[in-house]
Order: sequence, then structure tokens, then C-alpha cells
Amino acid sequence: MSFLLTPAVAKTGDQFTLWQRFLPPEDISENGHLIDWLFNYTTTLNVFFFILVCAGLFGFSFLYHRKRHPKPYYTYGNKKVHVMIATVIGVAVFLGVDLNITRISNNDFMNVFAKWPGEDEDIVRVEVLAQQWMWNYRYAGRDGVFNTDDDVVTTNDLRVPTGKKIVFQIISKDVIHSHFLPNARRKVDAIPGRLTRMWVKLKKTGVYDVACAEMCGTFHYRMQAKMTVYTPEEYQAWLEEAERLALETNDTEVADNYWGWKWNK
Amino acid sequence: MSNEFTADTLNGTIKEQYVSNISMIVTLVSFTMLFATMFLGYALYRLTSETWPPMGMESVSLGLPILSTVIIALSSISFCMYERSYAKSDAQSSWLWATSAFGTLFLVSQLMLWSSLQASGLYASSGIFGSIIYAFTWVHSAHILMGLGALAWLGLRIKRKKAILMTVKNVGKFWHFLGIVWLIMFITIFAI
Amino acid sequence: MASFEQHMHPKPTTFISKYIISYDHKVIGKQFLWYGILGLGIGGMMALLIRWTLAFPGEAFPILGHFLFPETNGVVPPDVYAMLFTMHGTIMIFYAITPILIGAFGNFCIPLMIGARDMVFPTLNMLSFHFAVLSFVLLLAGLFTPLGAAAGGWTSYPTLSTLVGSPGIGQTLWTLAIFVLGVSSTMGAINYITTIIVLRAPGMGYFDMPLTVWGLWLTAILNAIFLPVLGAGCLLLIFDRTFGTQFFLAGAAATNGVGDPVLFQHVFWIFGHPEVYILILPAWGMVSDFLSFFARKPAFGAKATALAMTSITILSTLVYGHHMFTTQMSPLLTQSFMTLTMTISIPSAIFFANWLGTIWKGSIRFTSPMLFSLGVVFVFGLGGLTGLYLGTVTTDIYLHDTYFVVGHFHYTMAASVLLGGFAAIYFWMPKMFGVMMNETWAKIHFWGTMLGLNIVFFGMMLVGYAGMHRRLYNPFVYEFLEKTIPINTWITWGALIMGASQIIFVISFIYAVFFEKEKAGDNPWEVGTLEWTIPSPAPHYNFDKIPVVKCGPHELGNPSLTGDRDFQYQTEELVQA
Repeated sequence: MSFLLTPAVAKTGDQFTLWQRFLPPEDISENGHLIDWLFNYTTTLNVFFFILVCAGLFGFSFLYHRKRHPKPYYTYGNKKVHVMIATVIGVAVFLGVDLNITRISNNDFMNVFAKWPGEDEDIVRVEVLAQQWMWNYRYAGRDGVFNTDDDVVTTNDLRVPTGKKIVFQIISKDVIHSHFLPNARRKVDAIPGRLTRMWVKLKKTGVYDVACAEMCGTFHYRMQAKMTVYTPEEYQAWLEEAERLALETNDTEVADNYWGWKWNK
Repeated sequence: MSNEFTADTLNGTIKEQYVSNISMIVTLVSFTMLFATMFLGYALYRLTSETWPPMGMESVSLGLPILSTVIIALSSISFCMYERSYAKSDAQSSWLWATSAFGTLFLVSQLMLWSSLQASGLYASSGIFGSIIYAFTWVHSAHILMGLGALAWLGLRIKRKKAILMTVKNVGKFWHFLGIVWLIMFITIFAI
Repeated sequence: MASFEQHMHPKPTTFISKYIISYDHKVIGKQFLWYGILGLGIGGMMALLIRWTLAFPGEAFPILGHFLFPETNGVVPPDVYAMLFTMHGTIMIFYAITPILIGAFGNFCIPLMIGARDMVFPTLNMLSFHFAVLSFVLLLAGLFTPLGAAAGGWTSYPTLSTLVGSPGIGQTLWTLAIFVLGVSSTMGAINYITTIIVLRAPGMGYFDMPLTVWGLWLTAILNAIFLPVLGAGCLLLIFDRTFGTQFFLAGAAATNGVGDPVLFQHVFWIFGHPEVYILILPAWGMVSDFLSFFARKPAFGAKATALAMTSITILSTLVYGHHMFTTQMSPLLTQSFMTLTMTISIPSAIFFANWLGTIWKGSIRFTSPMLFSLGVVFVFGLGGLTGLYLGTVTTDIYLHDTYFVVGHFHYTMAASVLLGGFAAIYFWMPKMFGVMMNETWAKIHFWGTMLGLNIVFFGMMLVGYAGMHRRLYNPFVYEFLEKTIPINTWITWGALIMGASQIIFVISFIYAVFFEKEKAGDNPWEVGTLEWTIPSPAPHYNFDKIPVVKCGPHELGNPSLTGDRDFQYQTEELVQA
């Protein structure tokens, strides 16, 4: 049965244990662990309740097979004790699982994921233009103003530092896309005609994938960008070099190059 | 068929009226949802837009829409008169003819509206403002056509003496429903 | 509610009047059944093509590949792949599950189970089927147009589904087909609702109806209310595509007075979330009935089950926003949709308590319908619990549009509904065609299907958690997904097992319908609902004499029953204990 495990295509020679294949990609963000933790917490609760269901399902199926239990117990389940047990189960699931994880998720969402950095905070601003089938990134350049001659513009090439909040403003040129950073557990749709935002704070350097998670046409699967995470010093060095190159190479004649917008506070 | 099944005719007619009444209400709920969805969309566009009509667009002059409103109101009134005369078992088909004539006139007024809009340079493709006016009137007019079909069908049923009071009332409900939809359209799209 | 004088069509004699333009609800039910099985076959083949591409990217599809895609040497090309998953989703939802559960068993069961001779509007019923056929033809016609069929996913979000993203005629045909199908289903829904309100046999109150009828009734109500919403969305999309309106078009910069693609998502999911319950409610009703029938005891908390179904129907209309968390609605909306979504777990927990309560202390007969019903409890447990991850916004931010979602909705919509549909086919086969299906093969079919579907859908959740997002022609262009290659291969083997099991079913079904000699008895399952009081197959106009209902549908194992029967017909006076 070795063919079952033979990879069809493999670019990296990495070896994985079976367990590792089931795990999500490495978490490189400062807050991604909140999502992972909630996932595992929900899983624990789910496993508990699913075992209860299975115990009932298989246990009763075994115990009350017609051979073992020829005479059924005639009841409509409207005795007080029956109603109470059903109510207790319903309330236990709702309070124990649902409201519990809703509360946690809500706290995380309001205090972390939907809490946008203040105006005076030192952040990295990136404008993202999605189009079929590539990601365009724009940095404000030396003057700190977007959509000017000195902007650093890259395609499918996102470079960010660790340790600083990075705020993306995202829009799409044609169809709906979704800016997905699997290693940071974050995604947000890129929609024509309306700005969406996303912020992340990363803690580990390296090169990672940026994906498009919303069906956007035939070559949806090719809409892939690379995110290079630098240390702050490396990032500064890259940025300065890129800003210098931008001033030299940006073609100011082509109107299409000015797809940026005024940073939306 | 056994005797138990054939209920007495009077009882049968009452039940039949009850049945068609229920189904007509369900049908109207469906149609209401169709139009409600479109109005929901319109409300979103309107509320998220800074100015209405959007920049560079001019409001539609109210002359033709008011004419349409008057015509459709007259058609509803004439159908009411027909219903009343039918209920008194003194059906005056001239009222039915009047309803159909006003319905047709309404369609003519809509055609005039479309051509005048085009003459003033507003097309279905000129932004969301044009899209809304055209799409809403198209869908409504398509339903008016269906309503005219229902009127013709009712006329045939009556001629063959197959209609019951509830048939007349149901066609009426549909016709008045279209009138109400037009009124809402007139107020929300054209007037304000 | 006594019956009123129904117009009786004479017994049809020619082939055409009997099988093509039939007014008989039983024949229309069978027509929908064949139609749905055809849809299931086409959609299933497409699923295998999809799975093959994911497991063996760049390899020719065996046997058929060279006929279908000669220009790429049998490999599924990316544009065809997009059409395949679009059509797979559309066909399975609208042309397989809907016709089998709602079209076939709605039409067949409602009049029989409430003691009526036919639907109130037989002509409307017939038209509903003919519209459904027209719709399927329109949909499939898209496959033969120059630019191919619709390829924007079954959700067809603009602007991908407008001329910006798909210029071909296929997308227009798709939209038109869904609109026509909406008209067809709305007709059916009006018919079902009215029939159940006015044609219940004398003595049958709402809580004396079998839970199957409850499920179908609530489904019809949701259909009548929410299909027009999708209809309006489709109309506007058609206008955008053909007449140049701009409802869903927007430029890159946020400007005034242009359309909004997100509006379609709102409209789609206002319909789309109830649609999930439209599909599952009949299956829930049937399962609740079958568990009681084959555990030989009354449905535990039958009234509570009916009320839980009703409350889920109402709740389902309020939670659609959880499909759109990543479009970044206002945080307040996000919070409210998340909390509302969670309340759905209360009625769901009541279901599970009642289902398990029904088999508790029963005397279970493991016939094929019972096996499939127990299967529904199992897979719906998995499907329902995994919904929690997608209802909480933070985990959804990561899992949205990944295979985790795909696995989740296949568990709830595909697996549970499909198993429920099979249970119904095995159960009502004697009343529909007058024969029983082979029990042994039915059990092989069940275990094969269960094995296959759990490998497929659980595997999907695993790769989804590992980060694999949806609708990728070749996921392995991403480095972080390369480790999921073996899991994807196993999923495909699971899909093949599942597909092979369906071949068993089709052969067994066709054999039973056309070649089985042995006639089934009037009441082979020994249950007491009204359809089993008449001969098998059900005769023209069902009931010679309209029955009078004297007790509920689940009077099984009543201790004061005399004689050797352990159940009571609904037409008999309840024996006092």
C-alpha cells in the first residue's frame, strides 16, 4: 500500500510525521495563538459531547437490540424526569459550550482582532490592490503619503518587519478576492468598491505564503504572493534601498501606476 | 367515488374558497419577498450614498409617474366596483373591461416613461440610479403583464360560469398588490 | 378539517398521460425521484473528477479523461475544474437533494400521510415538475456553450459572476436556471403549505401529523418565503449581465453612485442560510419518524421535536451574517450574528436528546431505513458540532473559505441529507413501487457509504484545518500545503469507495423497480401511519374512503394493545392504558 503515501508532487524534501500533517501552518503572529487556543478548546468540548452522543447511539443500539430487549418501554417522553433531562442537556450545551466560546471569541475579537492601532502608534502601513490574479502592495515611500511618485510598489512580494503592527488597507480592482495569511491565521476579503482592513503583528522572520482564499476565476490557485518577514533592522535597510530605487525607476507617465489612495484613517 | 367523499355542494364551495384564499395569501407572501428584497437593496444603496440622486444625475420629472399612479389607482377602483357588483350577483363586466383597459394604459405610460428617460440621457447602464429606476419598473411591468393575463383568465372563467367569488377576490388581491407596490415605488423612487 | 370536494382526474391510460403529463402526486413524486437520482449521478461524477484533480494534479483522469479533455491529454484543465466544482455544488443542492427530499418525498408522502387523495392543486404540481426539468436543461446547456458553463462557484458572487469575471453565456444560463427553479419550487411550496392546512384527514390535528410532514411543511414555508429573495438576486444579476445595469459592479476606488457586490452576498445568504434548513428539515422529520418506527416505541418528545423544528425555522432566518464575517461587517453586526448563530444549538441539542431518547429502551430492528437514520444522527452530530468553529468569529477568520467549511457543510447538507434520502427511499419503496429492495445489498450500501463519506468529509476538515483553502485547482503550488498531499490522496480513495457504494444502490434500485417479481405486503414495516393502511403500491387516488384519524402517528408498543400487533393504526381508537 505504499502508493497511498506517495506524494504526487513535492518541491520541499521535508519529512512529516502523520501528526504534523494534520497541524495548521506554523504560527508566526503575536495573536494567532488565541485562535489556535480557541480551536483546541472547542475541540475538547466537542469531543466530550460527541462521545456522549456516540455512547447513546452505540450503547442503546447494542443494549436495546430486539434480541436483547424484545419488549419496548412505552413512553412519549413527557414525564417530568424526561423533560428535565432533555432541558438540562439543552441548557448544558448552550451555556457550557456555546455561550462559553462565544464569550471568549467575542473578547478576542473586540480586544485584539478588531482593535485598530491608534493614530499616534508607530505602524507599518501597506495598501493592497488585488486583481486577477496577483497582489499589488504599496508602501508610502519617503514622504509618508500614498499615491505619490516615491511610493514603493511591489507585486506578489510583501515585505514586513517583526515586532511592529502592520496595517493593510485592501481593495480589489475587478472581482472579490481574499487576503489570506495562513501563518498569521488571518484573512479579509478584498472587495471592489469598498476598503477593508487587516492588522497583524509578527514575531518570526522567514518567507511565508500569502494566498487568495476567495474564488476569483480560473487561475485563483495561482494568486499567490510571498511574504518576507524581516527583523526591524533588515526591514529598514530593505525599505531605504527600495525607496531609493523607487524614486529612480517609477514611471510617472503611466496613470495606471497611481492606483493608490489617501490612507483612510 | 364513494358517497362519504362527495360533500354537499354548498359546503364544498365554502371549502374551496377557503383553499384558494390560503394559497393566494402564501403566493402574495412570496411576491412580497421578491419586491421586498429589491427595496432592501435600494435602501442600502440610498443610505450609503452621500447624495441622492448620485452626483451628476438629475431627479426624474414627476409628470409621467404621477400619470401612472392615477391610472393604476383608477384600475384598482374599477376592479373594486366589479368585485362589489359580482358579490351582489349582478356582475357588470364593463368594470372588468375598464380594469384591463387601465392596466394596458399603465403599461403604455411606462413605455412613455422609459422613452422619456432615454431622451433625457438616463439609461439602465448609467450608474446605480438608472439601474434602479429601470429594473424596478421592468419587474413591476412584467407583473402587470401577468396581472393582465390573470384578468383575461378570469374573464374566460366567468364566461364559462366556472368562477366563484373567491376567484374574483384573489385576482383582485393580486391586482391591488401590484397597485400598492407601484405606490411604494412612486413614493420611494420618484417622489422622495 | 374535513376534506372538500377534490376534482378527480380520470385514471390515465396512455403512456404520456400516465408518466409525462401526470396530475397524480405519486407519479410526480416518482418523476422527481428519477430526476434527483440523475442529478446525483451527474454531480457525483463531477465530484470524482474534482477529487482526482486534487489528489493527482497533472495526471490524466483514467478511462474517461481522454474523451472529455482530448486537448490536454486527459488532464482536467483549470477552467474546466472551476466549472466542475460550480456545477457540482449547484447540481447537488438544487438538482439532487432538493428534488429527492422535497420534490419526490414531499409530493409522495404529504397526501398519503395526511389522508388526502391528492395535492390541492394537481396542475400546479405538474407545472412545478416541468419547470424543474426546464431549469435543469438550461443549466446543463451551459456546458455546451463556447466559453463553457458557469464557473464562479455555486455562490456565484459578483463581480466574478458579472461580465467582469465571466463573459460567457454559461453564467447567464446558470442564473436563469436558478430563477426558473425558484419559480418551480415556490409553486411546489404553495401547494404543500395549502395541502397540509386544508386536506388533513378528519380528526388529524397538527400534532397528529407524522414528523415527516412537519419537516416538509416547515421546509415549504421557508421555500415560499426565501426563494423569492434569491429570485430577486438572480433577476438583478441577469439585468446586470444582459441589460447593462450596475447593481453589483463597482470600480476600484470607492466612488459614489455605483453598485455594490456585497449586496448580492447579503441577498444570497438571506436565502442561503434558510436553504440549509430547507434541505435538512425533511430529513430530520423522517429520521425522527423512522427512529420511532424501528425502535418500536413512540417518538420521544414528539411535540418538542416539532416545536424545535419550528424554532430552528425561525432562527435560521436571523443568522445569515455568519457567512460574511470576512467581508468585515461592523463589529456590532458581527457580534449579534455570532450570538444568534449560537442559539441554534438549543433546538439542535433537543433533537439529539429526543433521538437518543427514542431509541432508549426500545426494541430496535436494524432494517436498512433504521441504519440510515442512525447514520444521520452520527454524521449530523459531527456536522453540527463542527459548525461551532465557524460560528465563532475568531476561528472563522482562519477557517473561512478553507476545506474545513467544505467538510462541515458536506457533513450537514450532503451526508445527513443524503443518508436521510436513502432511508426514505428504502422505507417508502414498497408504497411507491410495490416491491422491497434487497436488504443485504442495502446494508452493504450503507456501510460502504458511511465508510466513504466519513473518510472524505473528515479528511476535508483535516486538510482545512491544515490551511488548505477552497476551489484550488492545484493546492500544492503553496509550500505550506505540500504536507497535505497524502491526506488528499486518502480523501480521493474515500470518494471512490463512496462512489462505488452508490453503484450498488443504483443497481439494486433499478432491479427492484423493473425486475423484482415478489410483491411487497401492504404494511411490511408494521407501522401505523395512514399510508400503510392502503394497498402497496398506493392505488389511483390513494384512499377509497377518506380515513378518520383517532390517534397520533407513533402508537407503537402500547401496552394495552390486544392481539399480536405491537402497533396501532392512526385510524383506530387509542386503547386506554
